[in-house]
Amino acid sequence: MAHVKVVRRSLRPEEWTKMRAGWLEKGIYKEKIEITDLMIRDAVQKTENEYEFDGDWRRLTKGDMYFTPDGTAFIRGHAKVPSHFKGENVYFSLKTAAEMIVKANGVYVGGVDPNRERILLSGYVDADEIEFDIEAYNRSKPDDERNTATLAVRGCRQVFEGAYLCTVDEDVLGLYYDLMLLMDIAECEYFNEDLRKFLFQELGRALDLVDFDAFTGAKEAAEYIEKHIYSNDDFKGSGDVCLVGHSHLDIAYYWRRIHTVQKNARTVLIQMRLMDRYPEFRYTHTQAYTYELLEKYYPELFSELKEKIATGQFEPVGGMYVEPDCNVPACESLIRQLLYGQHYFKNAFGKICDNAWLPDVFGNSWILPQILKKAGVEYFVSNKMSTWNDTNRFPHNNFIWRGIDGSEVYACVPPTHFITWNMPSQIQGNWEAYQDKETGGATLSMYGYGDGGSGVTEEMLEMARRFEKVSAMPKTRIMGGSEFLRKNLKDNKNLETWDGELYLEMHRGTFTTKSEMKKVNRELEFKLRDMELLSSLGRLSGKAYPADEITGIWKKLLINHFHDILPGSHIHPVYEDAMRDFAEVNQRAERILSDFKGKTHFNTLNFERGEVAFIEDEDGKDMRLGKKGFWKKVHVPGLSAAEIHPDDGGSGWLKVALTDALIIDTPVYRAKMNADGSFVSLYDKALDREWVKNGGGFNKLHLYADNPGLYDAWDILPNYRDIEKELTVVAPLALAAEDGVSALFQAKIKSEKSTFLMLVRFFKESRLIDVELISDWNEKHKLLKVNFAPDIVTREIASDTSAGVIKREMTKNTSWQKARFEVCHHKWFDLSESGAGVAVINTGKYGVGLEDSEASLSLLRATERPDVTADLGRHDFAYAIFPHEGDYAKGNVNKTAFEYNVPLRKYDAAVPFFIRNAVCDSGLFLQSMKISEDGSMLILRLTETEGARGKIRFDRDVDILNLLEEKTYTNSVIAYHPFEILTVGIDLKCI
Amino acid sequence: MKEFIEKTLGARLQGDGGWVEFEKMEDGNLTLIFRGECSKCLILNRCCDWIGQKVKEKFDMDVTVVPVRKKPYFWDK
Repeated sequence: MAHVKVVRRSLRPEEWTKMRAGWLEKGIYKEKIEITDLMIRDAVQKTENEYEFDGDWRRLTKGDMYFTPDGTAFIRGHAKVPSHFKGENVYFSLKTAAEMIVKANGVYVGGVDPNRERILLSGYVDADEIEFDIEAYNRSKPDDERNTATLAVRGCRQVFEGAYLCTVDEDVLGLYYDLMLLMDIAECEYFNEDLRKFLFQELGRALDLVDFDAFTGAKEAAEYIEKHIYSNDDFKGSGDVCLVGHSHLDIAYYWRRIHTVQKNARTVLIQMRLMDRYPEFRYTHTQAYTYELLEKYYPELFSELKEKIATGQFEPVGGMYVEPDCNVPACESLIRQLLYGQHYFKNAFGKICDNAWLPDVFGNSWILPQILKKAGVEYFVSNKMSTWNDTNRFPHNNFIWRGIDGSEVYACVPPTHFITWNMPSQIQGNWEAYQDKETGGATLSMYGYGDGGSGVTEEMLEMARRFEKVSAMPKTRIMGGSEFLRKNLKDNKNLETWDGELYLEMHRGTFTTKSEMKKVNRELEFKLRDMELLSSLGRLSGKAYPADEITGIWKKLLINHFHDILPGSHIHPVYEDAMRDFAEVNQRAERILSDFKGKTHFNTLNFERGEVAFIEDEDGKDMRLGKKGFWKKVHVPGLSAAEIHPDDGGSGWLKVALTDALIIDTPVYRAKMNADGSFVSLYDKALDREWVKNGGGFNKLHLYADNPGLYDAWDILPNYRDIEKELTVVAPLALAAEDGVSALFQAKIKSEKSTFLMLVRFFKESRLIDVELISDWNEKHKLLKVNFAPDIVTREIASDTSAGVIKREMTKNTSWQKARFEVCHHKWFDLSESGAGVAVINTGKYGVGLEDSEASLSLLRATERPDVTADLGRHDFAYAIFPHEGDYAKGNVNKTAFEYNVPLRKYDAAVPFFIRNAVCDSGLFLQSMKISEDGSMLILRLTETEGARGKIRFDRDVDILNLLEEKTYTNSVIAYHPFEILTVGIDLKCI
Repeated sequence: MKEFIEKTLGARLQGDGGWVEFEKMEDGNLTLIFRGECSKCLILNRCCDWIGQKVKEKFDMDVTVVPVRKKPYFWDK
């Protein structure tokens, strides 16, 4: 039997309608007058609003090549407005792939970019002659790759298509928008089939009235649509969708943060100009940092912005300083995002934000609800879980999110992407995907181009004005973000609750990519803690507190917690900027710390240090992580000083023998180790038990092929274990050094392209085993992990969140468990039975792989997009194996992890007795000691990290504050519950 | 030439997510390896012309840029 497929070669009626609808675009301009008097000057942006010019001004004419890679151009022009344009709306038009801020006769009239080409001049500039000044920034990557129209024009070099003064045929333009709206419905399978057929038929008839040579008949066609389509309510839709204008603005991504100055200004300017024309328009904008930039570099626009905020059209949202990654930054960093963000909003605009607006972050830590709640934030918005999860559909859109301590915030995970262009198909798609129709009220649809700003367009608002005319559409309302949240979530008793982390089933590689950044960030988070603590103690003893400098240092760090910086999903120059910023933060913090240099070692932790510690010392004979020093089992009470000197110790505590493996006998362990540094056996003498599962695989390096595809820097896929690459031993594990405290063993391992020096240190008086790995990493698309298969029967893993412990199931019974094959942790993870367990403590690694009762610490990745050279080169980092009695709490895992991460250094500091008495060994971690933002109080931030309940007692009344440093109540005894974050304020006059 | 291509001009390309490496210079042909966003750029010829202009300005030398695209596996379809 022959199979003959009938192919229609002639034009279908639907195609004929669609073709003619497209032709309407050609008739939008009634008249265009080319601006021929144009000059251009090329430049390269060096820092924020500073440029290095490349040559002098030159004439710019249509057809010229303009822009250069990563280039900026300044364009000047002069035009005479034709007399016959008088009485009509006059526009400036320039079609470009670049991003331009346009001034006419000194007035900011608007912006053009890949998403818009026309700026209304009338009303802003009504002179007969106009001088144009254009700041133009070319990014080869358009704001949003899903806007396919912009893909075609991308590139570092552009052909200038001319600039024009023009007038618009309002009838054609109106009809064009009608067709844009109705064709979208006609082509969308979400809508009723009969409706779609009806629309094609009636739109075809309407377009029959248009003469596409003269572009006459548009008015008649629009009237036909009004009469036959908009007036027809035979097709009923359902749904309730709130439309919130928004533009996602990555501080850095495929561009450096210095470019965000203009991206932000352009975006704000464009939205304000739309507000002038569309009074019903509301727009939300996040990140206090972007407002600061506008205030600093574009004061004129900022002044206008304040007016728009006062009228309610422009709405600051988000509460945070930037939109940070919410996995890797530690608790105090997230708090500072809100402290500095909310204070900025309060000072600049008179009120704080009641919501956190984090549409693009890669999952959200369980510690967030409490932090948000205590920083005046009632509502949380984040899109990714609904639209990006690769395995399970997140079950809610409007719900309550309960945090690790029991705090609750209202949460919205909108059903669709945070970048849409307000088309009926997207709105209908949102309603159909919305899972809380019966409980959650209306659904949220964010519209506006973004990633690199740009935002809402005239087209989107014209669509919105027409929605109510289409009976088949869901009910839609334009509103602000806060208004949506209050109207639909506040006091909504029907909302369901999600109790747990908001894990994103994607982007699991961002816990590991750009390893060096994460390591340095961890160091700095603890260094800034010491800096503030010592500065506060200095203030108590009469020194000046460098408040502005401390705030500046924090803000510099916080910018780099942005969700495409710290996670590693950015181009190479962004990495260089971030590492330069980190170096600056370190230098500035050290400058402050240098004022407190002392002769004795000061324990900045609020509990006794009793573990082995590496003491930095230029005369030390040991080297660790590139620094000289010595190891010592220390005993230093909390917030106190002690003299620490190298310990001569005694020899004879170590026995080493080589059989089929290396046998290492210490007072603590009898270990049997392979040539590659992995353990065959680790027998604990005191506990009389074995720690390594029969068969080994403990501290075992594995190199896997890591091919997640396009989202290279972002993702690790569950198949990463399928292809393992060979690691060979170049120099087997052998004793390299020994003294009275520690014994150092080293092994050299290599892959085809990389080498690894593994340094394993055993200690005479500690269960801690320190492992340093110095890597010359030259891989492509590989993932290096170190696996731990302990002889422990457990089905859950406990992990540090930086402010509390999260326990996760390791079994693979459900799709939810399977999807969590790689999770984020902070300083440690722990596998325990009821009597004992093993923790692995790190100094800047965040990814943990879960496989039945085994866990793996992710060490290095080698991704190629967006940064061709990501992670290549030398790495030197350390982690510790820490077997212990009891569970993580009884075993002091968290305290040991703090000791492992916070270096003991020589400082001259004195802590008032009543403070030390209250906070030391209180069961709470002194997360921060600082002077309040208003300079009146000593702030103590105390965090319960192990799941306990208790009371902390002061010898006087103290103020209990929220995270914005506002008083909530006063008492001398403060009860706390598991994982609570307490902020205590003590009037400086009372100390 | 290698330093000029990779450090001076390369930094500019990196700002747009691209990458360029010097491969060789023979008989007026300057062979360059393009990675990252450049490896799939539809108008790479324009960038090559610009590199040629910059080489001319710097070294007073006429060259023909010969691009070699090295795409990552996920773009190499």
